[in-house]
Amino acid sequence: MKAARWLIAMVGAVVVIAAPWFVGEGALRFLSEAMLMLAMAQMWNLLAGYAGLVSMGQQVFVGLGAYALFFASISLKLAPFWVLPLAPILCAAVAAVVALFLFRLREAYFAIGTWVFSEVVALLISKTERLGGERGIGLPTARLIGAHWLEPLTFWISAAIAVGAVAGTYALLRSRVGLGLMTVRDNDVAAASIGVDVWRNRFIAFVLSAAGCGLAGAVSFTATLYVAPSFAFDPNWVVAMMFIVIIGGIGTLEGPILGVVIYFALRELLTVAFGLTGGWYLVGLGLVAIATMLFEPAGLWPLLRARLGGEWLSVRRHPPARAEAP
Amino acid sequence: MIWVETIVNGTLYGGLYGLLGVGLALIVGVMRVVNLSHGEFIVLSAFIGVSLVGAVPWVHPLLLIVPVAVIAFALGFGLQAVLINRVVTRPDPFAAILLTFGVAVVMRNLMVEVFGADPRTLPAGRLAQASAGVFGLHVGVLPIIILALSIVLFTGLQLVLTRTRFGRIVRATADHRDVVRLMGVNPGRVYNVVMGLSLALASVAGMLLAMRSSFTPYSGVERLLISFEVVVLGGLGTFWGAMLGGITLGIAELVGLRFDTNAGPLYAHLLFLIGVLLRPNGLFRARS
Repeated sequence: MKAARWLIAMVGAVVVIAAPWFVGEGALRFLSEAMLMLAMAQMWNLLAGYAGLVSMGQQVFVGLGAYALFFASISLKLAPFWVLPLAPILCAAVAAVVALFLFRLREAYFAIGTWVFSEVVALLISKTERLGGERGIGLPTARLIGAHWLEPLTFWISAAIAVGAVAGTYALLRSRVGLGLMTVRDNDVAAASIGVDVWRNRFIAFVLSAAGCGLAGAVSFTATLYVAPSFAFDPNWVVAMMFIVIIGGIGTLEGPILGVVIYFALRELLTVAFGLTGGWYLVGLGLVAIATMLFEPAGLWPLLRARLGGEWLSVRRHPPARAEAP
Repeated sequence: MIWVETIVNGTLYGGLYGLLGVGLALIVGVMRVVNLSHGEFIVLSAFIGVSLVGAVPWVHPLLLIVPVAVIAFALGFGLQAVLINRVVTRPDPFAAILLTFGVAVVMRNLMVEVFGADPRTLPAGRLAQASAGVFGLHVGVLPIIILALSIVLFTGLQLVLTRTRFGRIVRATADHRDVVRLMGVNPGRVYNVVMGLSLALASVAGMLLAMRSSFTPYSGVERLLISFEVVVLGGLGTFWGAMLGGITLGIAELVGLRFDTNAGPLYAHLLFLIGVLLRPNGLFRARS
């Protein structure tokens, strides 16, 4: 069993590394986008599905990550990917500070509080001329990476981030912190009474989620070579994360993977096959999400798993076998 | 002098913000649900207002508030009956948030496709420019009408909730949804009417705001954030708190614009974040 898993992982890694030589440039860009979206959705799922924190402001970390990378790369005159680690570090630091006051808000208030914070950061950046103001800034240092290497590198890094987001969340949920998060989600009074530190567990999840979104955002805008406040802090980032998670299955690790497939399949179907505008696509996506909330609030993955059977990426723990009564 | 004028105008503007938020405060208080499509309904009512002005140009836009409010009431009633009542009893507190967020995204993009993304305003005729001099201060007539209307609606809502049989039923439902069933009250129906009232109040604010500044289908986000800030700053469940919260935000925004012309709602948002940090239960919450 263990050997089979390693084999699958090795084959997967070889396929990802070889992909740029076999896949066209357009398809490669599409795959990178999907991988980054998966990472962001998984980060949102960690908050909403496990930590009980619905954030409507995760786009602030997408944008901050992008700006951190652009600013550092341009000021230090280094190729963008060398300064990539700065993006999640900055986002984690900002998240750690704002958590101190946003955590005073609960449920819907937290959701909109994070959104207000995102708007404030977007307004402040669009007033900062050093960061290009409302017009935004380009990424001239991308030239330090050979033109032929930018797309494949972006793809590899995106794939690594997506795998890292899923595997990292899995590892986190299997840890003590994850167990604490899930007990808090299921019954916060009972969790607190057995000594689970509710605040600390949520804090860890919020900071990690911010770092993940910042990392994915930084890579996403490196691929477009341009960042402006209206794109970087666009609420549609969080709209996409939410819809992917809701449709796929909130509070499951496989849900966002299924959700990303549906999200992009629906997008290609509606905008390419039927030639609809992006607006109608969002209307369609919204209707699917509303229907999911009404009829199948757990999302589509639980349905699919019931058909397929098996444990997949379940983080469930099995109780130790009971000792035989003497 | 200019500062006094700014603060007076901020107060007049803030009354409108209070009106934006009071509908949201109402449903939060009664059914513990935050309607994330609140902003989109505010914008939709402004679009309905613009369409009505086009259809019956001889009626003054201020009078068109009445039919728009009736339509908004019907929309709210329908939204609650068809969608939100199905999730409001679920133990998961996020069901209604996610559902109404889906509604918001659908409505926003439908409005873009139907009405276009260009900025619009509701023409208020000569009233928009008219200004009155009060002891040397120049104050617009329209803002005074708006503040007066807000105060009338606030008082009316307060009276309905505290003095009428319907108000008693609403307050009882808010306190014990399951117990009122024993008295023959159907909480779902009460919720329908409350959501209708919430959106009717929001539509009045939406029409008045559209007379003061332009709007696009994307303005709903900003309207929702302001409404929400009003609710939180005002303290949950107090309507006069919502009014004071709105006025505080209105003053913050106009004073901010005085020394920083392209700030937009930045200072109102900052005030909100500071307010949350210092008084997470609201600035004006009654100590009970």
